[in-house]
Amino acid sequence: MNLIIMDSSSIISLAMNSLLYLLKKMKKPSVKFVITGDVKKEVVEVPLHIKKYGLEALMIQQLLSEGILEMPEAIKINPAEIAIERQKLMDTANHTFNARGEWIRIISNGEASCMALAKLAEERNFNVAVMVDERTTRMLCEMPKNLRAILESKLHTSVHAEERNFKFFSGLKIIRSSELSYIAYKKGLVGISDGKQLVDALLYAVKFKGCAISSQEIEQIKKLG
Amino acid sequence: MQEKENILDILLKTKQAVKEGNVVLMRELSNRTVHSASIYGDTDNIAVAVIVYMLSKIVERKKYHEYKEWPVFFQTCMNGLSIAITSLKKDDTEKFSSSLEEIRKRVGKISGNLRNYIKDVFRKAEINKASRIYEHGISMQKTAELLGISIFELAEYAGSTGIGDVNLSITKDIGERIKIAKEILA
Repeated sequence: MNLIIMDSSSIISLAMNSLLYLLKKMKKPSVKFVITGDVKKEVVEVPLHIKKYGLEALMIQQLLSEGILEMPEAIKINPAEIAIERQKLMDTANHTFNARGEWIRIISNGEASCMALAKLAEERNFNVAVMVDERTTRMLCEMPKNLRAILESKLHTSVHAEERNFKFFSGLKIIRSSELSYIAYKKGLVGISDGKQLVDALLYAVKFKGCAISSQEIEQIKKLG
Repeated sequence: MQEKENILDILLKTKQAVKEGNVVLMRELSNRTVHSASIYGDTDNIAVAVIVYMLSKIVERKKYHEYKEWPVFFQTCMNGLSIAITSLKKDDTEKFSSSLEEIRKRVGKISGNLRNYIKDVFRKAEINKASRIYEHGISMQKTAELLGISIFELAEYAGSTGIGDVNLSITKDIGERIKIAKEILA
């Protein structure tokens, strides 16, 4: 079973571009899209009370009702178990970079819960990827040294990294809404016929709604055809 | 509250910059608090960053000054800054925080159209500062939580900046990432 654990940022990029239907088209018996309770709170429960984003929240809620998006219980992972693992990961992540004698709190419950669920699902032999559009979590998992460099350059102060913590986050497979959109395009699932401009439009659309993909990466994807 | 001396210096310079209409200096001062806010996740640092940025915007927009409610509101802001400075000098952190909160509350008490304009400026100041904190390397959710804004708002704003284009942000070969996506979505 393949599992895609979606972080708030990736759902938001898709929702704000009216691309949530791609999840419906890409859902298969062998592919599940799962969100944690913390993410549900961020993308459904909170925005339902914000007039500007209420419609997006309802559309995401609809996907949950239809079973396109599923909660961890669907794969028999208990929320209490996720909460314990989430706390461990959050404490570790937030004790990894130190500036001016202070540990920098870089992530919160939503992101930590996605990593926690991914770890628990891998232990149960699911083939897992985390879909995360925001930059910090991806960098923490894939290139924490670069995250230290960004913190250092932006904070204008030296940042110490507790490198022994890096292993807790490494090894997670990460994709973004940009890759999902590209695969949907390649499979002809987008439903818009102008192929040449479509891939460019799709990738920049998610970028402009918060997907941390560079223009350089977008140009590389376009060359893949 | 962290870095008292830094905040005190920022507030004193802000007060002077407001009097001189020096918007550029106000923006720089606002950014200085973002560094501390990112490290300490301290709400007072964040409140100062937002208020200083908000002041830079309303000082810049001369049309606001023509509203009859403007003099009272402006004076309230200046008084708020003075109280914040005095409280900080006396190490009265409670009064310091409440003076910053008072500036925000005052916005709700302005009558007429000016209230809506200033409220909007305040909201945009929060989103702008959130985007800066995210740019510093704090996650999107953590940043939204610190500023009390929605992740939707932050994602939309951050997407219009060049945050994703920083070379250090590229952490995996794009072909490799597409391969992962293809395998998982197969």
